[in-house]
Amino acid sequence: MRVDWLSLVDFRSYRALDWRPDPTVNLLIGPNGAGKTNVLESIGYLASLKSFRSASDSDVISRWSGSSVIRAGIGSIDRERLIEIEIPREGGRRTQVDKTKLKRTAELLGVLRVVAFLPEDLDLVKRGPAYRRDLLDDIAVQLWPSAYLDQSEYDRSVRQRNAFLKSGDRDEVTLAVWDSRLAQAGGRVMARRIRVIETLTPLLAESYSVIASEDAQVGITYSASWIEGAVPSVSAGEYADAIARALEARRRVDYERRMTTVGPHRDEPGFSIGERDARTQASQGEQRTLALAMKLAAHQAITQALSETPVLLLDDVFSELDPNRAEALAGALPENTQTLVTSARPEDLPISGKVWSVGEGDVG
Amino acid sequence: MFEGPVQRLIDELSRLPGIGSKSAQRLAFHILAIEKPDALRLAAAINDMRDQVTLCERCFNVAAGELCSICRDQRRDDSVVCVVERPQDIVVVERTQEYRGGYHVLGGSLSPINGVGPGQLRFDELRARLQTEGIEELIVATNPTVEGDATAMYIAREFKPLGLRVTRLASGLPVGGDLDYADELTLGRALAGRSEL
Repeated sequence: MRVDWLSLVDFRSYRALDWRPDPTVNLLIGPNGAGKTNVLESIGYLASLKSFRSASDSDVISRWSGSSVIRAGIGSIDRERLIEIEIPREGGRRTQVDKTKLKRTAELLGVLRVVAFLPEDLDLVKRGPAYRRDLLDDIAVQLWPSAYLDQSEYDRSVRQRNAFLKSGDRDEVTLAVWDSRLAQAGGRVMARRIRVIETLTPLLAESYSVIASEDAQVGITYSASWIEGAVPSVSAGEYADAIARALEARRRVDYERRMTTVGPHRDEPGFSIGERDARTQASQGEQRTLALAMKLAAHQAITQALSETPVLLLDDVFSELDPNRAEALAGALPENTQTLVTSARPEDLPISGKVWSVGEGDVG
Repeated sequence: MFEGPVQRLIDELSRLPGIGSKSAQRLAFHILAIEKPDALRLAAAINDMRDQVTLCERCFNVAAGELCSICRDQRRDDSVVCVVERPQDIVVVERTQEYRGGYHVLGGSLSPINGVGPGQLRFDELRARLQTEGIEELIVATNPTVEGDATAMYIAREFKPLGLRVTRLASGLPVGGDLDYADELTLGRALAGRSEL
């Protein structure tokens, strides 16, 4: 997959941008604050329908404007498609694919697939579990777009159940209804996460040994308080039953704490190197190698699933790595992949590609 | 800000669902530009609707008298009741020409975030109807949203034990469309909810 052209109107620092990236490696060079990340963010938005930088959509709208527009020509093996999305400050997003209006913005998912690597992703191993849950969920959406529905239904169910618990109402039938709604969606979210882990684990071990140039037993761990012992690989329905049982068992605690204290939204994914827990017992170097390997594994998993390579976004990643690891990452980058790399210091980049100068609201 | 009366209309219009401040402004200036009788006809229509339309005492559809036109219709099948969130959902089901039963409008869906629990919906009224009307089946036609699903589950839990048949509308692919054109979300869901042939 590739972005043939990108056009931005009132998106962050861009009043009007028209840019035709190269189908291979693009190096976006410019000082800090020049707008390099904004370009990557807009492409990431098309693929995941959210900004990888801020929780609120309105943050991407230039402060002088009431709405942002992202348009892009997306090329894939068998066809070319035109994506248009308008993000207004008030009201819902409007999306079109090939000039046809979509009933739901979420239908856009899958038209463009992207794997993004941001500087903060390097801390993926040691950050809080929410960060790693999001990572698994984001990869699931890139692999199977309908995972997006499951995730938003699950989030909504948790919020509704929490609102019920906070309301002080003690109606058991209503709580049972939210339990079962939450368990259903949660079972589906859980099944996707486990499938992501199963798909990525062998690929992760491979990329890790390439970057670290040594063999190591790396793995993805997953601990869920609602499952005793090791997490089994079962159907969404069976996970849902287990979540429902846990919710019932925790009812009194949940009433007291006025929140849902058990479920996939509290689970803790992690990584292991050999017998060690990577979060507490790995060196910073090992942790960063794991993070890089995880993103490359995600890229490979999506490539294998779709017989098509997702666009790779590397935002200011090389400057955060020591020279050896930067070299190793450059060597491990997938071939035949449209890659967008940003950097303030081109001399630090161990890879070559088409160089673009970014600044003053333009890429040229 | 515009002259007092203009701004007042803009403010009122922008309170309507789906109308932002820009649309409200456009509508207000349109109403200012059209012939005065046309503008007054709009005002009168709003007035009349609020004066003359009530809610049906039985199903809570909009009505021009005690009962709505559907509840007054003797030929309808009284043993089946289709439960919907809002009166406008009735129009959609009616348009199919496939349904000859009655309705019950809940007035929304369960949503604790918005402070809506069972007490805010017309479940007591539905319970009362079940006792007096000889209803045998409830067809739940709430929206396929998290809240609509939860409401459907609530109905199943509360009313199935009374010995009624409780069913839910199927969701899936649009009829007559090519599979090729179905988006992955809908298709994914339709696969999960597939049925035996």
